[in-house]
Amino acid sequence: MSRKRTVVFLAMLVLVGAMSLKTVVVTHGDGSIVMANSGGPVPPTPWKNSGGPVPPTPWKNSGGPVPPTPWK
Amino acid sequence: MPGLVIHVLDLLTALLQASIVVVSFARGYSRRYLTINLYLAASTIVLFLRYYILSRHGLLSEEYIYFYYYSDALLTIGLYFTLIGLYATVFEEMKAAQYLRVFTILLLIGTAAFSSAVVQQSGPRLITRYVVEMSQNLYFVGVILTYILWGAVLKLRETRTRVIQLVLSLGVYFSAFAGNYALRNLYPQLHFVWEFVPPTLGCLLPLSWAYAFWHIPEDARIAPSRLAVVPR
Repeated sequence: MSRKRTVVFLAMLVLVGAMSLKTVVVTHGDGSIVMANSGGPVPPTPWKNSGGPVPPTPWKNSGGPVPPTPWK
Repeated sequence: MPGLVIHVLDLLTALLQASIVVVSFARGYSRRYLTINLYLAASTIVLFLRYYILSRHGLLSEEYIYFYYYSDALLTIGLYFTLIGLYATVFEEMKAAQYLRVFTILLLIGTAAFSSAVVQQSGPRLITRYVVEMSQNLYFVGVILTYILWGAVLKLRETRTRVIQLVLSLGVYFSAFAGNYALRNLYPQLHFVWEFVPPTLGCLLPLSWAYAFWHIPEDARIAPSRLAVVPR
């Protein structure tokens, strides 16, 4: 195997190992984020701090029945 | 009171980081350890900016939340390149710089692609989720890379005391964060303990690096046999 292929193989191996480790650690976690850099008070995660429910997508919020297409 | 302790630890961290950068410039080895100095300088600036934004907008403001997580992602990338800088130092005699560059870029692209694939299924705030996911994944890549580097230090019988100190400090730092996360989930009732661990670790890493730069001379050597566990 050439050296370049070895480098590619090693990079993928490290990636697989790291993601496996992450899966093992995070699966049993409470959903909080592992941060590598401390400093300053930790704020809540951005997608958990909203006050209300997520609004519906604009093209699904109509109240009445869908009218027939104009060309029929 | 807990908040005050955390603020004091953060202040100490910033002072230590800034002093390492200043001393490196003054003693003329800032280029040799360029990635470390860049990371420490960036980390210090980010720390002050976080407190500035926190004081202006508050902990729950969108400004602080987004700045905190986006800056953390940038710092994690900085830490990744710091680690690669240490790889370059350890492997410099093997003339493997070109392969190391390819390895670095491939791993970074792979991590970015994997993070993208993970957050594809997310709903709103896709970019923010991506940034946080990428930061977290890169942290775990850093954990694995640090242990591989420590293996290489032992295998290649690296004797430079300062390099060994830098690598070991980073290994302890990464491992302690993972350990803290695991313990926090095992014993959530001790949250008043776990909240002090990240700022303490954040202070201990620059303290350990400061020791390496201030008290260990560049030409100091340590016997390789003292590094490995010798069966009796």
